[in-house]
Amino acid sequence: MKPCRGAVAGAIVLLAVLQFLASPPARAEYGDVLINKRSEKEGMRPVVFPHWFHRIRFRCKVCHNELGFKMRAGGNDVLMVDIIEGKFCGMCHNGQIAWSPENCDLCHSGKPGLQTKIFGSHQTGGPGRW
Amino acid sequence: MNRRTIGLIAAGALGLAGGGAALADGKTVFETNCVACHGSGVAGAPKMGDAAAWAPRIKAGQAALYESALKGKKGMPAKGGNPAISDADVKAAVDYMVAQSGGKGGGDKAAEKAPEKAAGKPAPKEAAVPAKPAAPEKAAETPKPAPAPAPAPTQVAAAKPAAAPISPAAEVNAFNRLLKPAGKRNLPPTQDGIHDPANDGTQLLQPPMEAFKILPRSPGGNGVNWVQALESNKIAPRYDKADPNAAPVVMDLNIVREVKGSMPDVVYPHKQHTEWLDCSNCHPAIFVPQKGANQISMAAILLGQKCGVCHGKVAFPVSECRLCHSKKKDTITTGAAK
Repeated sequence: MKPCRGAVAGAIVLLAVLQFLASPPARAEYGDVLINKRSEKEGMRPVVFPHWFHRIRFRCKVCHNELGFKMRAGGNDVLMVDIIEGKFCGMCHNGQIAWSPENCDLCHSGKPGLQTKIFGSHQTGGPGRW
Repeated sequence: MNRRTIGLIAAGALGLAGGGAALADGKTVFETNCVACHGSGVAGAPKMGDAAAWAPRIKAGQAALYESALKGKKGMPAKGGNPAISDADVKAAVDYMVAQSGGKGGGDKAAEKAPEKAAGKPAPKEAAVPAKPAAPEKAAETPKPAPAPAPAPTQVAAAKPAAAPISPAAEVNAFNRLLKPAGKRNLPPTQDGIHDPANDGTQLLQPPMEAFKILPRSPGGNGVNWVQALESNKIAPRYDKADPNAAPVVMDLNIVREVKGSMPDVVYPHKQHTEWLDCSNCHPAIFVPQKGANQISMAAILLGQKCGVCHGKVAFPVSECRLCHSKKKDTITTGAAK
């Protein structure tokens, strides 16, 4: 247990140092949305939504029409309860069309401290305005 | 407190690191892992502090509670879905919740000891769960310190102008500071700067390049020509969430918009847009479906309005001028040019 904890601490320090050095402005994939409206306040990591992964499998219309997602980062009030009840993400992430919401850390995988935004604005990697 | 006492406490804390220190962190374990469900009582989880909901569970005994938490029960996955937590930490969180919900937590004694230990030897506490979110946060908050000398060599090799050894301080004034060099595009989630590499789920996510390899490339955005990928059946995105055979309602109508200045006119193809979108995505909120009713400017697009609602965020970015400005003007404006 002891050496294990030491290793974990070491790894964390190393990671922190690496992040310090690398300190990326944003190397996120084009169209990735970071959602941190509530996650961190509720003690979870922020959510990362990858547009690219979903558009390979669904046309825009499915989420932005059927599922009711507004086309504005931060414009949607999505609660975990809604998802579990089968609204928003939960319309597909229900264990039938896609994996169920028990896999918390697949969505809640963002770096703590980041703000809600979409990573786009052509190749600069800057924040999308809306 | 003399040095010997500190040493003793430190040794004690180290010895207890496996059990004692972990127990003391029941609150932090709860706040990082359990609060999502037990904080508000979703998915049938007993809400913390709700003595009525907890009473029958506490009555069943501590062992049964530990068992449910470690192995999962009904809606709750084993260890709340985070296998990375140690058994001791899970039990500590259970004790904490029980103590807060009208029961007597087994970890009370350890919790009382915690401040003393923390004062004597903060290290083991640091190593426990709370350190995880704290460390990256610290890094994220710091406004861009001097860039890395470490990752530089490979990237410098890729970007020719930077080949000369530049002092780290000079890189803040680097050419195209925000332009992603080729080696920094389509990075796997663990390196993309927005996913937490310390999160187990991050390792399971698909790296974009793995998916993009077989798709037609494009210089902008994801580096994928999505329209071509769809046309050539390289991807088959569903038009209906459940029905893989639903076909889109495609409308084949080009709208030509004459533009001022020397740029070629814009041809807007309904076809490619209706392959992906529903009419109501754009009409009438973004574009009034009436000729001449829409004022569109590049400035508005760059501010994220009109075409910029998607182009510049998920659809190809405005750097691909000629994909829209694609119709040569019939009349050549004479005079000024020559």
